[in-house]
Formats: sequence, C-alpha cells, structure tokens
Amino acid sequence: MSSSYSNYTNSPCAACKFLRRKCTSDCVFAPYFPPEEPLKFANVHRIFGASNVSKILHEVAPHQREDAVNSLAYEAEARLKDPVYGCVGAISVLQREVLRLQRELEETNVDLMRYASCLGGETSAYGGRRG
Amino acid sequence: MSQIKTIHNLIGSLEKLLDLLLLSLIIFMTLKGGTSGACSACKYQRRRCATDCPLAPYFPAEQPKIFQNVHSLFGVRSIIKILENLDEAQKLEAMKSIIFQSYVRDRNPIHGCLGITQQLQYMIWLAEEELKMINSQLQIHRNNTNTGQYHHNAHNQMSHEIGEKLEDVTSQLNLGVGLMVNNNQNNTIPFFSPLPVFERQPQQPQMCYTYSSSEINNNGYSSPVYTDSCKDQTLTTNNNNVDASLAWGQNRFPYHHNNGFSNQNEHCNEMKSNNGVTAIQSQLVNHQMVSNQQDEVDDVEYDEIHQFLEIIDDKQSFPDTKLTYASSCSSGESLKERTDETGESELRSAATCLSLTSVN
Repeated sequence: MSSSYSNYTNSPCAACKFLRRKCTSDCVFAPYFPPEEPLKFANVHRIFGASNVSKILHEVAPHQREDAVNSLAYEAEARLKDPVYGCVGAISVLQREVLRLQRELEETNVDLMRYASCLGGETSAYGGRRG
Repeated sequence: MSQIKTIHNLIGSLEKLLDLLLLSLIIFMTLKGGTSGACSACKYQRRRCATDCPLAPYFPAEQPKIFQNVHSLFGVRSIIKILENLDEAQKLEAMKSIIFQSYVRDRNPIHGCLGITQQLQYMIWLAEEELKMINSQLQIHRNNTNTGQYHHNAHNQMSHEIGEKLEDVTSQLNLGVGLMVNNNQNNTIPFFSPLPVFERQPQQPQMCYTYSSSEINNNGYSSPVYTDSCKDQTLTTNNNNVDASLAWGQNRFPYHHNNGFSNQNEHCNEMKSNNGVTAIQSQLVNHQMVSNQQDEVDDVEYDEIHQFLEIIDDKQSFPDTKLTYASSCSSGESLKERTDETGESELRSAATCLSLTSVN
C-alpha cells in the first residue's frame, strides 16, 4: 500500500507520462525510463513501440533489462538520426576499420620479422668473425 | 414441348456459366490471394496481399522468420513510417539494415547491435595497441640502422635485447595484448561509450550513455546508465568511432583467421614500457571471463552477420545530420587519418567512465 501510495506522490515514469496512463507500482518501464529523461522513451517508442519494448523486457531477466533498454535507446536514436542505416552503418564502418587494421598489422609484422632475420644473419656473421 | 426444351437448354447453359465463373474465381484467388501469393508479412497478419503491398518486395513468403524478427522489434507501422519518407533505392538499403538489426536482436535480445558495435570497437582498440607496440619496435630497429650503431659489442647486446622483445612481441601477436589472464575481479573494464550518434553538430541535443565501471554484470561489463543530463562530452566530434571503443571480447568472430585476434589470454610483459597501455591494461577484465559469460553474444554467429553486412552497400546515404561515423567510410584515407588522430589521452579517457551528454 505504501508503495502504491508513493506512486501518487512520485512523478510517473517517462513512459506512462508519454502514454498518458497511470504509472502503477509494477510498471515495467518505470525503473528504466525515469521522468527526467522523456526523450529516451519518446525515441524508443517512435521506433520500436511501447508494446514491443514491453515484450522484450519481459523476455529478458530483470538484471539484464537495463542493458536491454539502453541498447534499444541507442538503436532508436541511431535510427532517428539515420533512417536508412541506423546503427548498422556504424557496424559497417567499424568492420572496415578492423579489416584495415588487420592488414596493417600483417604488413608491420612482416617488416618486423624482416628486421629480426637481418639481425640474426648479422649476429651469426659477427660470431663467425670472432671465432 | 418446344418451350420446355428451351427452358431446359437455358438452365443447362446457366449451369455451365456458373461452373465457369466458379472455376475462374478459384483460379483468381489462387493466383492472387492464395497461400502461394501472399508475402510473409501479409501471411503473418492474415490479410490479403495487395499488388501494391509495400512490404512484399522485402519479405518473401518462403522466409517467414525474417518478418517475424522485424515484427517483434519494429512492428509493421514503424517500418512503414520509416519507408514512406525514403526513395526507392534508400528503401532497399533501409530494409536490409532493419532486417539485420532485427536478426541481431533476435540472436541477442539484450544487447542487439550495440553488442556488436562494442565488440568491434574493442577489437579495434586491441589492434591499435598491438600496432603501436610493433611500430615502436620497428622504430628502434630503424633508428639503429640509420645511426649505424651496429658496433660489435653493442650489436651483440642489442640483438639479445631485441630477441627478448621479439619473443614477447610474437606472443602478443596472438592478441592477448593488454589483457590480464587472471580472474582478478577487482578489474574494471576499459569502458568505451557506444558510438556517438551526434558528432558533427554538438549543439544538438545529445543522449548520454554513461557506462560506469562500478558494477560489472554477468556479461563482463557494467550496466550502462542512460541520462539526459549534460556532462563533459568526450569522443563526440571524432569522425571515426575508433575512439569510442568498448571492452568486449569474443572468441568467435569472423576475423579470427588472423591469429592476432584469437588468443586472448596472453599476458603482456613488454607493455610495461608503454605507460599508456599499462594504465589501460590494469583496468582490463579477464577476457576469457568476458567471452565465457557472454552467452548471448556467444550465440551470435558472426559469419552470418558478416554476410548480412556484405549486402549493405558501401555507398551510404545520410540525412542532413550526417553521422560522422557513417560518412567516414567514404575513404580509407580519412579513416587512417582519424586513426592517427587517436591519441593516448583519448584512450585513457575511454578507459574511464564516458558519457555523452544531452540537453533537453
């Protein structure tokens, strides 16, 4: 009772404010969409919809819901900024970067091995002269 | 009698006509609205698939799972809203990315595409650290060669030192660079914020993703805190997301044909000389722990993801806001420049709690 009473004194969560409904004590959105961050839920609702978000939250364990919400918020934001590629554009860029770095690493390793082999040759030459 | 015969003939022809009509109706329904004609979107929604169905080109009937994934994440209305403002060419690209995003979310309900982003960023960070180290070794060699310091005694000493370093370098090439082997759980992960979506226009309201290192969940990284408050803004205006990297590790990744990314349990001894890396290294979580505990991430088959991404066109179109991480793919040179711009200071800041701030 006290928890439900506190809902009357506390502000409803951003989701219930946006949806214009009563924020109950068992509101699934309340822990992750605080009233101070209205844009977060607005974005997520625009892209994914409150019902889909609710389903996703019910599917994951309670301790993982915050991560799920934040990833959804990130993806929603990315999709709003880039309606064509969303967050997938970033993944594409990152993959290219990984490939580029791999190629560069391979080339650099080859150079390093070349130096190492040169040193090995000169060491044996010096050793031979000493002997 | 003749009248009766006429009536009989009329009735017979009417019956034939009705049969023909029924037959044509059946054929029409089969061709158009039958089970073989509807797209998977209309099938799922149990409605008739119109000739101008906007989703039909993207959801073939024989692949219902694709639409189910998309429907679970986005919903039909949202997809149609996204598509209605795009050109035909952009629609196809948008649907590809939506399908991919939904697929990833289906495989990883918790982190979705953000998980992949973070893993890639971590791989980039590791690769850059390794490159730095190897380049420093190379520089030593080049300096010695240029100054002609291969004096007999000095050479022997140097070759001995270089040999020692090379051993460590070789071991680190299996990409455990920077990773602690032990399961010391005081460690914190070098948290890197996710890709900033607001980069070129910092005056725009920006969302804040604060990944605190105070709490590490089962997946090896702390629960991110999403706030709208304005804080110091880091990693914002970099054109490349390389700066923002996340501490993830994942053994199963399509790029593991390079051994440099496979063994992630090597302990790096030579990193002592590199203070920046040591600082970061001390904060790294055990990668093995991370990769073992990330069940959701382990389930993702990155080969499939790679195939998905191959279908995304290189030429990306962007709205006026121009996400810099997306536009940076236009040339490899620009990426290289941005990589060069990545300083140690940024890496250090990436190792701490990062946040992008927003103003409502």
